Amino acid sequence: MIPDELHLTDSGRETLFKLLSKGVLGCLLLYALFPIYWMILSSFRTRAEITAAEPSLFPFTLDDAADIVQDPSVLPTLLEYENYLTMWDRFPVFDYFVNSLIIASVTTVFALAVGCLGGYAFSRYRFPGKIGVGGALLGTQMIPGILILLPMFLLFVWIQETLAIPLIDTYHGIIFVYTTFTVPVAIWMLRGFFDSIPNAIEEAARVDGCSRFQALVRVVLPMAAPGIAATGMFVFLTAFNEVLFASVLARGDVTPFAIGIQSFETQTTAYWGEMMAASTVATAPILILFILFQKPIVEGLTEGSVKQ
Amino acid sequence: MTRTSSRVRSSVAEIEIGRYLPLYNRLSDEQQYAYKLLLPGLAMMLLIHFIPIVWGVLISVLGVDSGYVSQWYEAPFVWAENYRFVLDPRTVVGERFWYSLRQTVIFSVGTLLLTYVLGLTAALLLNQRFKGRFAARTLLLLPWVAPSVVTLLIWRMMFQQQSGIINSLLLSLGVISEPIYWLIGDNTIWTLILVHSWTQFPLVMIMLYAGLQSIPEQLYEAASIDGAGRWEQFRYITFPQLKPVSAVVVLLMMLWTMINFTSPYILLGAQPPQSGQVSILYIYNFAFSNYQFGRGAAMSVVLFAIAMAMAMLYYKYLFDQDFTEGDR
Repeated sequence: MIPDELHLTDSGRETLFKLLSKGVLGCLLLYALFPIYWMILSSFRTRAEITAAEPSLFPFTLDDAADIVQDPSVLPTLLEYENYLTMWDRFPVFDYFVNSLIIASVTTVFALAVGCLGGYAFSRYRFPGKIGVGGALLGTQMIPGILILLPMFLLFVWIQETLAIPLIDTYHGIIFVYTTFTVPVAIWMLRGFFDSIPNAIEEAARVDGCSRFQALVRVVLPMAAPGIAATGMFVFLTAFNEVLFASVLARGDVTPFAIGIQSFETQTTAYWGEMMAASTVATAPILILFILFQKPIVEGLTEGSVKQ
Repeated sequence: MTRTSSRVRSSVAEIEIGRYLPLYNRLSDEQQYAYKLLLPGLAMMLLIHFIPIVWGVLISVLGVDSGYVSQWYEAPFVWAENYRFVLDPRTVVGERFWYSLRQTVIFSVGTLLLTYVLGLTAALLLNQRFKGRFAARTLLLLPWVAPSVVTLLIWRMMFQQQSGIINSLLLSLGVISEPIYWLIGDNTIWTLILVHSWTQFPLVMIMLYAGLQSIPEQLYEAASIDGAGRWEQFRYITFPQLKPVSAVVVLLMMLWTMINFTSPYILLGAQPPQSGQVSILYIYNFAFSNYQFGRGAAMSVVLFAIAMAMAMLYYKYLFDQDFTEGDR
């Protein structure tokens, strides 16, 4: 990769290569992390600071930083945390958070329950039509959402008017839709985790007098807990991030965060500071959870793609 | 716990599918049990995937518009009229739909190229032994883990023409002489590719990284005995060995980008410019702004058909190539 014209010794080439890789890695890290840094930084800034022609790249000036090093107790006075206080009054952020939490957590519970059964069946049994069912599961991931949304909207309106069952702008309507969309992925991911648990475990449980179902619930599921947690996090994130169906089927009182956050930018003004404060509140727990539980999550995601 | 699980168990056991599906009785006990476990998932997929798709195809041949939203079944049957209308480049709608298809292809090919380059670079770097490798992997995964609704809005803020940090940085570095409109006008599609790739490259990275780890060490040992340098090792071992994973990456990134709605919808805001209107966003705005569900459904079917055709062609191509290579 390094041209011969430089006439470098072997160890020289090695050092140069190492330096180059470090440099490229540094650039990649900067590209990956700068937006997240900028979100946190902007959330602590006033509107004037955010819209300034030449915004500072750093949270503090050198003088302020020196003060903080000398006496950390001045830090709160230098931080502008106004946005974290005003956003709750200016926008119904709290309701958005509660709605998102309800929708995403109930979806996660249902998708995991259905996904565990299906994933287990896929991992342990051979049955006719297995390839077909597996193909259908993967096929669902290739359907443009709009193809399902249009007829489903008409279907929901129709059910609402003829059977008087409210579905649009309700928790149960959107939760049912999300559960179905996440079940195929949940089955696929969980199958991989169940595959890594030896069959002998259930056989031992069966010898001890467990029924097939008891062996699954009492022995296999606890052992697959890390995988189930990883799948759960994936489902939760998918439901939290979804906007296509939510923008049509979950408005009004059930508006989730993903839709509500866009109202921070109106035709005339953009409340970037408040928006970034709310975004930081939403992102922080997710990133912390990921950093703590990343091993099974990363394994679960790569399992399916590499195995094939 | 015990009581509920035994209750669930007995209710699972009591479902007598055999009464309704005679074929079911021919299955062995184990196979029947497998199907019982799969039953809830399959039933939901039938309700929310299969039925709406059939329904969507049905609606695409009906003249469902604002007058028929609640009585879609009374809409007149119009044969292929909807398809003819949306695919006719002489009408405004047809012209814009074709344009949106073109933008969709640019979007998915552009995203594929950028995420592959970024993802492969990152995976190769992570595959070397150095201190802090695990930390670097974790940090590089964050763009994909952070909720995309949030990160897309951050990029929207950073790409603002007047107050955005990107224009201000480029101006102070002297790369540009006056602020660029990133989110309005013809540049939009490139901005969209740039931002969408940021959210997706960690996925490509982690898939390729897993692929790299499964390449046997002996191949490299043998190559270095033969005097192969770094570039030769990459060219003749790493890259060919990554082919199966790369194939999955190419297919998934193309298809998933083609049907991605979140990125253009959030990044481009309430009034998306023409250049950023990829098909799925165009269909959405078209169908819901004037309740033209019949025509919207026809466009969705076209998009679906293109995605499926691509997937099939691609698989066939891969299969043929593997076959000829095996012959050699």
